Amino acid sequence: MSNSNLAIIGIGEVPTRIMPERTRWDILYDVCMEAIRDSGLDKNDIEAVINVAPQAQPKLAAELSFGKLPEELGLKGCKDTCVCNAGGASTSNCIRLAEQYIASGIAKAVLIPHVTVHSTIPLEEQINFFAKAGVDMQWEYPFGTTYNILMGMMANRYMHETGAKPEHMASVVTALRSWATKDPNSFFYQKKVPTPQMVMESPLLNTPFHKRESNILGDGGSAMVVVSAQDAGRMNKPVAYKLGESVRYFSGTPVLRDFYKVAEGFSVTAREAMAEAGVTKDDISLWNIYMAYPMNHPIMAEALGVAPIGEGAKYFAEGRMSFGGDIPWSTIGDAPGRGHTGSGVSTAMYVETARQIMGKAGERQVKECRYVFQNTAGGSGFNNIATVWGKEI
Amino acid sequence: MDIQFDMTRPLPETQPWSKPFWEGTKQGKLLIQHCRDCNANIFYPRKVCPECWSKNMDWIMAGGKAKVYMFSTAYDMVEPKFMADLPYTLAYVNLEEGIRMMTRIVECDPTDIHIDMEVEVVFHKLNDEFYLPYFRPVKK
Ligand SMILES: [Zn+2]
Repeated sequence: MSNSNLAIIGIGEVPTRIMPERTRWDILYDVCMEAIRDSGLDKNDIEAVINVAPQAQPKLAAELSFGKLPEELGLKGCKDTCVCNAGGASTSNCIRLAEQYIASGIAKAVLIPHVTVHSTIPLEEQINFFAKAGVDMQWEYPFGTTYNILMGMMANRYMHETGAKPEHMASVVTALRSWATKDPNSFFYQKKVPTPQMVMESPLLNTPFHKRESNILGDGGSAMVVVSAQDAGRMNKPVAYKLGESVRYFSGTPVLRDFYKVAEGFSVTAREAMAEAGVTKDDISLWNIYMAYPMNHPIMAEALGVAPIGEGAKYFAEGRMSFGGDIPWSTIGDAPGRGHTGSGVSTAMYVETARQIMGKAGERQVKECRYVFQNTAGGSGFNNIATVWGKEI
Repeated sequence: MDIQFDMTRPLPETQPWSKPFWEGTKQGKLLIQHCRDCNANIFYPRKVCPECWSKNMDWIMAGGKAKVYMFSTAYDMVEPKFMADLPYTLAYVNLEEGIRMMTRIVECDPTDIHIDMEVEVVFHKLNDEFYLPYFRPVKK
């Protein structure tokens, strides 16, 4: 029996591109208006706005924290607004807070928007932000860390444990990009899907990590409208119900994060979320996995029991998680496929979860999509949040 | 494009309770915080013991021997302030005292580095105040 009482009833999104000509507020208008229109509600029915914290954009963060959005959009029924920040896990917390607003009677309908425009942030600020975010300023940063290096270390360990080959690891990019090329909102829409060979031939940034395995920073935004499950049930339209959730905290500092404990955390949270939802892994129609980097996808596939232990990377190499494969997986291609929009990739993952369940995913539509498993994580992976979403309660 | 990058070498941002660790590295000692009440070896140093919240803490001198737990060698795409160091290898190493720390592996060909490789501490001077604990392969 689900402890949640929430459904996504409307979604809005703009394509992720490099488009400095679009201001952050321009994008916010578009995604919020589209999500509210899609929900079938009137703008004045929105009683609260919970913003996904924009990373590395302090001016916008301040404007949103201090209540500007409901005013800009003329949301006359809005009773409160705030910003939620847990890095890539921000959206999960926005959704949880929305549940509390709804349960306590503060609001019946809540708008959850996100925007990030990287292209107008000066390059030195971008580099500096991504070098420091989620690493320890005393015990890690002085040694010369980057996110790429942290992920490279994990990947090296995984390859050591499983004997996975570089071409298997490279094939994760191929799988993610095979979805992205079919996604009009992706940076790589209609772009050629690189083969594992092409990935491996791209410059080595840090072992075993190649340039084509890293993320492109993009500009984008998305939004959703959520209401109680009961209210959603009365709307007579396809909606996505939240059915189960579980979470584990690992560590804020990457060096204190044990490889095995993280993998175990992936497993435990999945088991608990599915148990709460009353489903098993065989019921899941889509594994909408958020890792922000390609290299951890095989670890997650094994932790979920989708692939046998030691064979996660091989499954990707066999094309089973690719578009057309038998295991629908990260249908926006995660950050490597969508383009990196700060904390917005996980917002986009929830929007995609709802889109798939609502049956509006076009060419990427997973057949008979009844249950979606989705995870998010914050910072450099301080936690893992597992959720299960469904077509009906 | 005329971009001014901050090329300042970053120094550890210390806390009052971590100062003895950095004083130690200046003298060629690798100190590990130790709880006298629950016997825990603690890394990184905290204000109170993270196991039992005791303030009855002390420092022990580590033997300086460790094994590589995981590593990655950087060839590109690091911050401009670290570019001159390329290629360099970052690693998590497990010390004999049961703690794990981030470090650089130095004094060897990066392609020879492997998981479980035996390494020993060597102190790298940043300035008069700070020496970083790096590790190098143990000579057989
Ligand atoms: Zn203690």
